[in-house]
Amino acid sequence: MSSEAQPLLELVDVSRVYGDEIEVYALREVSLSIFPGDFMSIVGPSGSGKSTMLGLLGVLDLPTSGTIRIAGQDVSALDDARRSRLRGDSIGFVFQQFHLIPHLTALGNVETALLYRDMRPRERHERAFAALDQLGLAKRADHRPVQMSGGEQQRVALARAIVTDPLMILADEPTGALDSVNAAHVLEIFKGLESPERAVVMVTHDPTVAATARRKITMRDGQIVADETLAAVQ
Amino acid sequence: MSRFRDLLSVAWTGLTARKVRTLLIMLGPIVGVAAMVGAVGLTESAKGDLKEKLAKLGTNLIIAQAGGTFGSQNPTFPSDAVHRVEAISTVTSAAATTNLSSVIALPTQGGSDYYQSFPVPVRAADLDLPSVLQVPMIDGRWLNAADSRLHTASVVLGAGLAKQYGYLPGEIRTVILGSENFGVVGVLGSVALDPDLDNAVFITQWAAKHDFATDGNPNQLYIRSTTGTTQATADAVPTAINLGGPDQVSTKVPSDVLQAASQADKTLQQTALFAGLLALAVGGLGIANVMSISVIQRSSEIGIRRAVGHSRSKIGSQFLLESLFVGILGGILGAAVGVGVVYLVSAFAHWVVVINYRKIPIWMALALVVSVGAGLYPSIKAARLEPLETLRLG
Repeated sequence: MSSEAQPLLELVDVSRVYGDEIEVYALREVSLSIFPGDFMSIVGPSGSGKSTMLGLLGVLDLPTSGTIRIAGQDVSALDDARRSRLRGDSIGFVFQQFHLIPHLTALGNVETALLYRDMRPRERHERAFAALDQLGLAKRADHRPVQMSGGEQQRVALARAIVTDPLMILADEPTGALDSVNAAHVLEIFKGLESPERAVVMVTHDPTVAATARRKITMRDGQIVADETLAAVQ
Repeated sequence: MSRFRDLLSVAWTGLTARKVRTLLIMLGPIVGVAAMVGAVGLTESAKGDLKEKLAKLGTNLIIAQAGGTFGSQNPTFPSDAVHRVEAISTVTSAAATTNLSSVIALPTQGGSDYYQSFPVPVRAADLDLPSVLQVPMIDGRWLNAADSRLHTASVVLGAGLAKQYGYLPGEIRTVILGSENFGVVGVLGSVALDPDLDNAVFITQWAAKHDFATDGNPNQLYIRSTTGTTQATADAVPTAINLGGPDQVSTKVPSDVLQAASQADKTLQQTALFAGLLALAVGGLGIANVMSISVIQRSSEIGIRRAVGHSRSKIGSQFLLESLFVGILGGILGAAVGVGVVYLVSAFAHWVVVINYRKIPIWMALALVVSVGAGLYPSIKAARLEPLETLRLG
């Protein structure tokens, strides 16, 4: 962690409140900075605000109060088109349920992240194929999600997340739907994604996953209760 | 530009991935357009034979009849009536005939009593009458200049009369006119616009003057006008003939009756068109319905697309483009089905196919508008979907 560097993503006194008449604080005045090179996990029991945190970090949701900045840019000040562009450019999502589009091939799913970018179809094919190849899925490029195992599907999802070369990879229980062999494989890939320019954030309640990270954020009742730096793992 | 191409390919993939569903929602515009094309095509084609006949006969023939003062026998035109009529700028050709009501025609020696009771009309005709009528000869030839110059005793029979006589093609037959024998030289084809001519015997104007001592003044004129001026020309004919004198000319445009008969049943056509519109409207509701459900079914796809950076407007456009494709393809298929139905039914019913291809794009455009209109609500719904709710995080 390099505290002198410019934070990649910054939460300042962020609250997220649901409900109109009866206010429920899913997140209460949370401040957090994520730096390039961070390899962190966010842990906590159900209802601690992890999912809300994930939505806010991924710019899928906006805070009720407080400020979220990505690369210095206040996300609340952007319109939907710019915010969507920012999300597409800087964040790569990996979900527990993989969330691949069923009627598209593996290649098509990866290409989805490269659409609407003034890119020639050929270049898009090549980049998407390279990302699949990097994760050992070159032979699966023409397969649809139903024709692949869970581990393969999650690797396609990973390829989709990294194909745009994002600033931050945001994973939601990335091994939650996988058996232990595939889970270990996916975790290995995550470790390989570590880079000084990029942050990797995994939201999980699996201690094995949390232990992979170098920095561990613990949440409870909508607040961060611990922000620890772990010993480097091999 | 390439972003729009991306959008087109995403929308197209969305449709082709679910072929049955796409075909089902396309049924609306298909049935609607097919019904409208079929409704108009079938009602028009039912009268197609009459239309075809009309097109062959032309709608520019005018028949002028000498009217005469009340009670006068055998009213006639002035002898130069044809020249006077041809002076009208919109007249392209004209020919006259003269009724010889005093001459009795006997096709056979034996039938004298019968043919005196039911006389066969004898007409002196101009040499260019068939060309003005645009009727071909069924057999032999028409009266020509040689008949006039050489005073040959030649007659031409009308088509109906030839049949009644049992005249065989090329047969050497004579007809007794008054007390003279006349040789049959030809049979004029059936004149649909003036069936009276079918039962007549035609002789030259020269024979009328010299053999039957008539003054040779015509009582009927057959006039062709330039296209589109028929009625105006018909109105001008009496003045041209009488040069401002008492109006003793009646004119008629015989194709008018046929034209009225050839008109499609408008009430039926409009009812069927309305049914087609209704089908299209119901089809539109179907599109709105199925697409709304589809948006819910595809909510996870929408969430994924939002997560990878597609904006709300891109998602909305994607669904709207899908309904646009449905409208375009449905319209094309519907038009093809409609035309096919018209051809099929016409083949069975022995109709002449009449399809107004200029109207089809209007109905296709209508199907397009309905489809896009129906896709509007589902598209807005898709754009407004919250990705966080559809992705089930945590």
